[in-house]
Amino acid sequence: MNPAVHLDGITKRFPGVVANDDVDLEIARGSVHALLGENGAGKTTLMNVLYGLYQPTEGTVVVDGEPRSFASPRDAIDAGIGMIHQHFMLVDPMTVWENVVLGNEPRTWGGLRVDEAAAREAVVELSERYGFDVDPDARIADASVGVQQRVEILKALYRGADVLIMDEPTAVLTPQEVEELYDVFEELTDQGKTIIFISHKLGEALSAADEITVLRDGVNVGTVASADVTREDLARMMVGREVLMEPATTPREPGDRVLEVTDLHVEDDRGVEAVSGVSFELREGEVLGIAGVDGNGQLQLAEAVTGMREPSSGSIVYLGESMAGASRREHIDRGMAFVPEDRHERGLVMSYDLIQNGILGSQHDPPFASGGRIDWEASADHAESVIEAYDVRPPNPDASAESFSGGNQQKFIVGREFERDPTLVVATHPTRGVDIGSTEFLHDRLLELRAEGKAVLLISSKLDEVQGLSDRLAVIHEGEFSGVVDPATVTEEEIGLLMAGETLDGEGVSGAAIHDAVGDGLGEGSSDDTDGTRGTGSDRETTADEGVDA
Amino acid sequence: MSEGDGGRLPSTVRRVLEPFVDRTVAERVLISIAAILLSIGVGFVIVLVSGRVAQCSTAAWTMPVTGLGFCYDPVQVYVVLFNGALGYPFAVGEPAVFNPAWTPFNLSFGLTLSETTLLIFTGLSVAVAFRAGLFNIGTQGQLVVGALATALTVLALAPLLPAGPIAGVALVAVGTLAGAVGGGLWGAIPGALKAYTDANEVITTIMLNFVAANVAYVLVLEVFRAEGSSVVATRYVPDHAQFRPWLFPASSDFALLALLVGVGFIGGLYYLLEHTTFGYDLRTSGVQAAAAEYGGVNAKLTTVRAMTLSGALGGVGGAVWVLMSEGRWIESVPDLGFDGITVSILAGNNPLGVLPAAFLFGLLKGGALEIGFRTDVPTELVGVLRGLIILFVAMPEFFRMAGRYVGLGSDGPGGPEAAEPDDGSGGGGDAVGNGGDDAVGNGGDDAVGIGGDDVGGDAVGIGGGETDA
Repeated sequence: MNPAVHLDGITKRFPGVVANDDVDLEIARGSVHALLGENGAGKTTLMNVLYGLYQPTEGTVVVDGEPRSFASPRDAIDAGIGMIHQHFMLVDPMTVWENVVLGNEPRTWGGLRVDEAAAREAVVELSERYGFDVDPDARIADASVGVQQRVEILKALYRGADVLIMDEPTAVLTPQEVEELYDVFEELTDQGKTIIFISHKLGEALSAADEITVLRDGVNVGTVASADVTREDLARMMVGREVLMEPATTPREPGDRVLEVTDLHVEDDRGVEAVSGVSFELREGEVLGIAGVDGNGQLQLAEAVTGMREPSSGSIVYLGESMAGASRREHIDRGMAFVPEDRHERGLVMSYDLIQNGILGSQHDPPFASGGRIDWEASADHAESVIEAYDVRPPNPDASAESFSGGNQQKFIVGREFERDPTLVVATHPTRGVDIGSTEFLHDRLLELRAEGKAVLLISSKLDEVQGLSDRLAVIHEGEFSGVVDPATVTEEEIGLLMAGETLDGEGVSGAAIHDAVGDGLGEGSSDDTDGTRGTGSDRETTADEGVDA
Repeated sequence: MSEGDGGRLPSTVRRVLEPFVDRTVAERVLISIAAILLSIGVGFVIVLVSGRVAQCSTAAWTMPVTGLGFCYDPVQVYVVLFNGALGYPFAVGEPAVFNPAWTPFNLSFGLTLSETTLLIFTGLSVAVAFRAGLFNIGTQGQLVVGALATALTVLALAPLLPAGPIAGVALVAVGTLAGAVGGGLWGAIPGALKAYTDANEVITTIMLNFVAANVAYVLVLEVFRAEGSSVVATRYVPDHAQFRPWLFPASSDFALLALLVGVGFIGGLYYLLEHTTFGYDLRTSGVQAAAAEYGGVNAKLTTVRAMTLSGALGGVGGAVWVLMSEGRWIESVPDLGFDGITVSILAGNNPLGVLPAAFLFGLLKGGALEIGFRTDVPTELVGVLRGLIILFVAMPEFFRMAGRYVGLGSDGPGGPEAAEPDDGSGGGGDAVGNGGDDAVGNGGDDAVGIGGDDVGGDAVGIGGGETDA
């Protein structure tokens, strides 16, 4: 039997870059195939070639034994290939079935009218056939992310897709939703569909895929059966060397109080409350992790703390002084480093070179400026040292920020902020899009900062990251902490439940303890936190609590 | 987000835009020269066709072989345009022969440089606002206010000082300063409105142009009008308080010193933008406001400062117009502020580019006058030829900005890395985020009736902050 898809010697060149270099890939029909690689390895480019978004510079796409040339995604869809992008393309106010048929509606009255009954029926039939738990009449705006993803899958199936390409399908899901997605994979492959998914997460590839192809620097390093390999094998294939899988944290006595946030309420750009009464405190030499699905108020919390967004109520006390009404510049001047979530909008000026980006935030301060004049030589030295220390590639300080890959942009931002000699580091998704080798380095560097006595507020949607690096771990859901837990003992399932807004039952005692820990000394309790509970106690947790209570 | 944007573009659009996006400075200069040559080619055809349609007693040029007669000779038109603008360094009628009697200090070249000088200031005014992400259509009004401030200040102070070179230097300096202050304050108004009430500066500056022109007119008409004057104008400032026309004939209304001051301003502004923290803050606000905010830049203050500086530069333009060209404030203020918009765009909003751009405008102005003297070609046709040159030179810049706007080029989805999913939600960045304002600005331009040749250029302006230094 022919493979469902055969990429034969695909090379894709962009000006100055070879994104895919002579990649051969065969995908067996009815299998789940993971395309694994670091950021910038060429995974998405390769799939965009298969989906007709890009034309290959060299090589052939063979679908079901037939060489094809796709001028556009339309051709690829006609050949039975569907792609589900990371960012869903759904119309919020419309219902599930309307979204599924949108653009390919069955028609009556000589094509003048949408045959709504037939359309809805087709969607119901499709979702039953694959065992999808989807209400066809629900509005997309009301549907969870997991459901929206299934709607995207239905859309592709409705258009006759036999091969489904999914770009980082788990990035936006809670752990429970990820499990459900794996069930969907199984259902689809049982019925003869083929799934290719892009990932840079080892565990995900191992548990969901039948076969795994690793790309590195645009080259196919190898295709392996997931049953035959370990995480370490895959990591080595991705990075090309041995990597340490777990950052090594050592318990440490936290020092003086650096940040004290009390009953903080923050609105988002639309005026909707995004942070609803969060309280916590942070001490020198302590890492407070905040886990949560993106969009649950982390962004607004980080922006409020760093002076980029005025809270609607509540207080932020930093180094013993209230920061109410302080400008963003005062926050910077008082030693706050901030790795922002959005590196394209905020963290970097895309058209500036790295020399100019290296002084963003420090443009008024020595050694980069004196008397209103910028010392570009000192700035260039600084950019070069960050580039070298954080392994930014290519190591060219004169290249514009936009010419770097996402991971390298991120490394530069993190480097700039970490090397600011801060008192408090607020890092949102510091390793997003960064490859394994560099992630390891950034983690080590973050722990060094902790050892130097810096306070770190670490916001990340990567569970292993917040769990591995934090002294305490808060889980945020819809603007509130649904729990503060000990990262050493909490399980991934427990965090998952908290991320979904559930509470952990049967541990009311420690819930009260958390409340005390957070609320003590702040003058007012934060009632929103009382439903936050914790799995089990541990030595480390006790240490942290003592620190807080002291 | 940017993923696939380029892929969804119709391939023809992509093919047209792509070559213009990632060009070096040297390539852009070459493109500009090629554009001028191309525009001359098109202009040739237009001159020929018009010359065939027009009626005249003797043909200026007869086509060989066919014997068809044409009223205008396109070669002559362009030779006069450029040769005449320089004051005929090549002999009239024998364009290959260098004219030994030629000196650069002639009337025509003086007129060319006079226009160049004035447009340097207004071009810089528009450029500095643009670099801060602000579309200042109000340079014209700032120039009018600055000019009036200069004239009134010098007229008030002149009697207090004994006439002489020292008083002259003092009066010119104080007068120029008064122009800067007047224009700066006038520019600060839309700056403050933008910063503190979020009023679109395109709208407010256009409206303030009318306010400036009419308030100044009424003030002069009712209060400051020179006795016995047939036009609405102030008295002349004393001769010693004007820029001296060194070397050039006085009738050219040109002073070398004023040009040198303009060149000094170009250097100064370049230094300010590229080598000071103020310039860094201003440019960062212009290309990516969200990143500037992240970097601790006070957006409101930067907006007010940038508009004040822009207005001050326009005001200095007004001061030079009074102290070099007119010698007084007079109601018929030329459209220097509006031409400054086009100059700035041709210059890529880079202060260093303002000099050649202003000089091109000066050449076209001086050359157009010469064509009027020397040939039968109607002034309207000369206007068309000027417009063509400007349009052709501006168009590649327009394509470049448009290409970046739709995400082509090094920051677009063309790069494989940018298409990686982990890049998160960031898009092309704020450099292109001004689309809304700009669309308004474009419509506004046409509404206020900027001269015909401006329209092509203005359309170009509109794509967002210019960043190449």
